[in-house]
Amino acid sequence: MKPHYILCWLLLLSSLAKAQLPAAESPLTERTYPFVNYTELGGLFGRVVYPTFAGSPNEVVENKLSLTLQTFNGVQVRPRLAVGGVVGIDWYAGALLMPVGAGVRYDLARPNQKNVNVFASADVGYGLTWLNKSSTGNDLTRGGLMLNPGIGLRFGKPNKGAFVMSVSYKRQNAEAAKPLQGNDIRRDESRVYNRLAVRLGMSF
Amino acid sequence: MKRLLYLLLLGPLVWIDTACTDTCTETRVFRQYTPVSLTTNQVRMGLNVANARGLVNPGKIYTKDGYLFINELKMGIHVIDNRDPANPKPVAFINIPGNGDMAVRGNFLYADSYMDLVTLDISNLADIHEVARSQNVFTQGQFDGGWWYYSQTSTNDLIQDQRVDYIKQTVQTNCEATPATPVSWWGGVQFANAAFDSKTSPGGTTNGTGGSMARFTLYDKYLYAVSMSEMKLFNVQQPSKPAFSSTVNMGWGIETIFPYKDKLFIGSQTGMLIYDNVDPANPKRLSVFQHARVCDPVVVNDNTAYVTLRSGNACGGFTNQLDVIDITNLTNPTLLKSYPMRNPYGLGVDFPNLFICEGAYGLKSFNVSDPMQVDKNLQQYLDDLQAYDVIPMGGVSGQKLLLMIGKDGFYQFDYSNPSRLRLLSKIPVSRPDLT
Repeated sequence: MKPHYILCWLLLLSSLAKAQLPAAESPLTERTYPFVNYTELGGLFGRVVYPTFAGSPNEVVENKLSLTLQTFNGVQVRPRLAVGGVVGIDWYAGALLMPVGAGVRYDLARPNQKNVNVFASADVGYGLTWLNKSSTGNDLTRGGLMLNPGIGLRFGKPNKGAFVMSVSYKRQNAEAAKPLQGNDIRRDESRVYNRLAVRLGMSF
Repeated sequence: MKRLLYLLLLGPLVWIDTACTDTCTETRVFRQYTPVSLTTNQVRMGLNVANARGLVNPGKIYTKDGYLFINELKMGIHVIDNRDPANPKPVAFINIPGNGDMAVRGNFLYADSYMDLVTLDISNLADIHEVARSQNVFTQGQFDGGWWYYSQTSTNDLIQDQRVDYIKQTVQTNCEATPATPVSWWGGVQFANAAFDSKTSPGGTTNGTGGSMARFTLYDKYLYAVSMSEMKLFNVQQPSKPAFSSTVNMGWGIETIFPYKDKLFIGSQTGMLIYDNVDPANPKRLSVFQHARVCDPVVVNDNTAYVTLRSGNACGGFTNQLDVIDITNLTNPTLLKSYPMRNPYGLGVDFPNLFICEGAYGLKSFNVSDPMQVDKNLQQYLDDLQAYDVIPMGGVSGQKLLLMIGKDGFYQFDYSNPSRLRLLSKIPVSRPDLT
C-alpha cells in the first residue's frame, strides 16, 4: 500500500476518534477510558559538528532546525496516565521521516481544577522512510529507533480542550547510502539526530 | 517539595540544550594504490602448480565441463571440481603471476601473465603444465583499478605495477547528504575486468564459459583478448600452440568482450562497440553506442543489450545505472531506458531473468520481459553478500545454476525460482581487511 494512504488513514482515524469525543465526556472515573489526543507542531533544534574534510582537525559547527508534526492518540487508563500511539512527520535536512510508535502522557500533578497542568511524556517508536525522497545515490536505506521523552504544560480546564506546550529530547536513528566516488567500494552513513523538540499544540 | 521535584525535572532539559548534537558517521571503504615493480624473470619463473588453497582476493570466474576456474587476482587460478554444485571440491592452484583472465578450449587453458599469454595443458588435473608462452604480447592492464605497465624497450625488463590495499575510514558529516571532501588519493577504480561465453562458437571445439567482465573470449579458431586500447587475436586452431595473429585498434578504455552469435560486443569506458565477426580473423566495427565516461560490461539477449555503467576514478563519471539498448538495427543501437543502480559490476542474462552484481551492495535479480519496467520487476535483492560477476548457466542437472563471485566468496545458487534464489554452496574468502 502506498505510504501516503496509510498516513491518511491514521489521520482519518484520529479525526473519527475526535468526533466520538462527546460520548466519552462523562466525568472521569477509574472505569471509563476516555479518548485523549495531543496534536503538536514545533521545531527540532540541534547542532552538528564535523571536520572540514576527513582527517582535518578543523571543525565546522552548524545549527540545525527541523519542522516536526506529531499526533498522540490514546486512552486515559488512570486518572493521571494516558497510553496511546504516536504518528508524526519530521522534516530533517536530507531525510523526511515518519516516526510511528507508542507513548504515554503522565500528569505530574493530581487532577484538579487548576487551569495549568504539568505532564511528562515518553514516546518510543520507529522512524519510517516511506515519505522520503532523496537525490540519486543518497537514499535513506533504513529508518531507525525513535526516542522522545520530555515534559510539557497543558493550559485549559480538565477534560476540555487545552493548549499544550512541550519541551522534549528527541533521538532518531537512520541509515543512508552515499554516492560512491573515486576508489570507494562502500560508502554509507549512520545518522543519529539528537534534538531538542519544542512543540505547541492542542489536546483534549 | 513538589516544586523542588519540578525543578529537578528541568535538569535534563538543561542537559538536552547542550547535548543536542546530531552525530552522523560516514563509513567508507576505498582502495589505496602503492607502486611496486617486478622483473620479467620473476614473472616467468613464477608459474607452477601447487596444492589447492583458500580464496583470498578472487577475480573472474570461468567454467567448463563441470570444472570451475576462479582467478586469484594477480596470483593465479584456483581449479575446482564443481560437478556437484552443492559440494565443490578444490583440486589445485596454478600460480601465475599477473593473471586476471582465462579461457579454456578443449584441454588447454589460456591465461594472461602480465605481458605474456601462457597456455597450460589441463587434460590431466594431476599434471597441469605449461605448453606454450607468447611473450610480450600485452603492454598494460589493470587489476582491481591498479595499473601495470611494461615496455620491452624502455623499462629495462621491469614491470611497473600497483599494489591495492583496502582502507576503511570513518568521518563525521553534517547529516545532510553533502559529501565531506575525501582525503586525496590517486590511482584507478575498477574491479578486474572479466568476459562472456562462447557457447555459440562454431567449429565443434568445446569452449568454456566466462562472466560478463571477461577480457578473453574464444570464437571460431580465435582467442580474442582485449586490452585498454586494442584487441589481440590469437589463432588457436592448434589449441596447444596459440599463434599471435593480429591487433585491432579500438580506441581508449576497452574493458570487456561479449560474443553473441557472429557479433562481438565490446564494453568500453565511452560506450558499447559492436563488431561484425562474420570473418573471425578480421572483426569489423559496425557501430558505437556512446554514453558518459564510465565502466560498463555488456551482455546481450536477442535484440536487447544490457549495459551496466559504473562510476569511479579509472572509469570516470558519476553514473551508476543499467542501460537497456535495442540492437535490432546493429548499425544504429538505440537506448530504450536507463535505470539507476548502486554500483553495478558484472551482469548475466538468462531471459527473462537478469542478474546484476552491485559490488559491496549485493546481487539483484530482475525480470526483464518488459524492458520499460525493469525497475518494477525486481524479483529479489540479496544485500548481505558481495557480488562482482555472475554467470547464469541455465539448466544444469535439473536445476538452474547461477555462479557468482564476490569479494567475500564464491556462491552457487539455484534460480529455478528467480525470486527466491536457493544457495547451493559457498566457498568463503578469508580476507581480514574486508570483513
